[in-house]
Amino acid sequence: MNLIKYFVLNTIETLLRVFPFPCKTGLIKMGNPGTNSPVFLTCNYHLAVERVKRALKGIDCYLLVANSRGINVWCAATGGLFTNHDIISVLKTSGIEGLVDHRKVILPQLAATGIEARTIKKKTGWNVIWGPVYAKDIPAFIKNKFKKTPKMRGVEFPWMQRTEMAVAWAFPISIIAAIAVIPFWPETIFLLILLVWGLACLIFLAFPIYSHRLNSERKRIGFIFFDFGRGGFNLFIWIFFILALILYSILAGDFTWGSILRWGFISLIAILIISLDLMGSTPTYKSGLHEDRLLKVILDETKCNGAGFCDQVCPRDCYRVNRKEQIATMPRVGRCVQCGACIVQCPFNALYFMNPKGEIIPPETIRKFKLNLIGKRLTQTEGK
Amino acid sequence: MSTYILMKILESTPSRYDSGIRILTLGRLDRVYNRLTSHIKRGQRVLDLGCGTGALTLYAAQKDAKVKGIDINSQMLEIAKKRISEANLSHRIDLYEMGVAELGSEESESYDVVMSGLCFSELSEDEIIYTLREAKRILKPRGLVLIADEVTPKSLSKRLINWLIKFPLVIFTHLITQTTTNTVKNLPEKINKAGFLIDSIKLNKIENFIELVGKKP
Repeated sequence: MNLIKYFVLNTIETLLRVFPFPCKTGLIKMGNPGTNSPVFLTCNYHLAVERVKRALKGIDCYLLVANSRGINVWCAATGGLFTNHDIISVLKTSGIEGLVDHRKVILPQLAATGIEARTIKKKTGWNVIWGPVYAKDIPAFIKNKFKKTPKMRGVEFPWMQRTEMAVAWAFPISIIAAIAVIPFWPETIFLLILLVWGLACLIFLAFPIYSHRLNSERKRIGFIFFDFGRGGFNLFIWIFFILALILYSILAGDFTWGSILRWGFISLIAILIISLDLMGSTPTYKSGLHEDRLLKVILDETKCNGAGFCDQVCPRDCYRVNRKEQIATMPRVGRCVQCGACIVQCPFNALYFMNPKGEIIPPETIRKFKLNLIGKRLTQTEGK
Repeated sequence: MSTYILMKILESTPSRYDSGIRILTLGRLDRVYNRLTSHIKRGQRVLDLGCGTGALTLYAAQKDAKVKGIDINSQMLEIAKKRISEANLSHRIDLYEMGVAELGSEESESYDVVMSGLCFSELSEDEIIYTLREAKRILKPRGLVLIADEVTPKSLSKRLINWLIKFPLVIFTHLITQTTTNTVKNLPEKINKAGFLIDSIKLNKIENFIELVGKKP
């Protein structure tokens, strides 16, 4: 019964994946926890809480749900909606301090782009342990004495996640498209929905075939979720198609505004799907619309102590830490997705972003100013 | 009052917040804040919870009080700082980036007034209970708590009207900013339960906005 409920819930919330789903914040007891039980923390995105609860089944522990405005951990933390204040608040107001003797809280690793472990420690006395990226790894993480294996630190984009993203895009677009055609062309609804779902599935499921060609550095024209290619290339194709259509129908002698409007709409939907911010929908590429995609992470070797905070929070396994020589290196810097987690966490300020002009963006700026919905940091647009 | 939801859109672009709020509230919020701060006396120590861009903070400072404003949004605080220095009131106001969960660091019985405008509706139940408990601790005896906020109407019909006005706006704000405003449930009861006496309550016609004055015994 619980499994069916879990499945139904997952399906509904995957269909509506692009919308936030807030749930109640505060303390949840899992099993029969005692004063020594581990304390886990997650965001208040409903699906995330359900998945963490499922992973924690059979483990006696406490689960704290902190306010991320109903958005998933990574997006909320990077976008400034899941902050130190939300963590401090749930630690102080949920009553957890009276229930356990220790002061160790396990946070999802992807929260490291927005939450500063040092600030949490300073303001509350709680030690932050960066847990695995995926909730399903939590049991193995506990068995491994609360240490992560390199595999638990990395993000992937397997077929299951790709299917989820395809569904998450196809559903709202097909609903909007269907509502739009009902009044004037109801007989195409079925075909239109097929087109939307087919294109979305094709784009996401074929991802491994073309992913090596993706490059987020090119200049693009976009609007929140859509990415119209270099110089609005996709829109030009659409305009060209419409002009060709008009020309053809005039030459063929059956020009009507109705048919132009219909075909224009159908092709616009197709163009929109092709123009989805694909890279922003994957965890392995930076969005083609975010300004941060052009930044490079620079490691200042004179400041680095080889403490390895960067390696602990990097979801792309860019770092190698040489403890003997007390220095970190970035042998796989090409995999970086500019999430900034390493910069936020480094206690020695040995890491920073550099923009294409060679200007340095200091770590304090990255800690204080987060990306907004259109992928800009307020500080940059104000030129401060 | 449902226009307060639109605040959320503005909140994500703090630099436009002030001009936006003036249009949205048509001066109503100004009247409310002016009335509420009339309880503050010269020279009193005041704490403003969730001061945002400093609207309520400024009113209190104009009553010659010494105000401490706290908020978790650093960008809003930057705007507050600018407004305060333009009003030449910097000497009476201190701003801190901190949340209500950090009130534990404030000294007991150190404030005459704890006030908050549109902040309690942003807090979770746990946070509200914690905040009221801490507010009572840090207030001097007979100190005041002043609150202006969105609340859930008591009667079903008014809840329904409120919901009908609000629903389209909720959807709209969700799409644009992926956030929404909330309302506080049973605020007077919570204030009572935290050990305050209620001096006065003023509700608007649809009963979705409250001005409350409470007192520590």
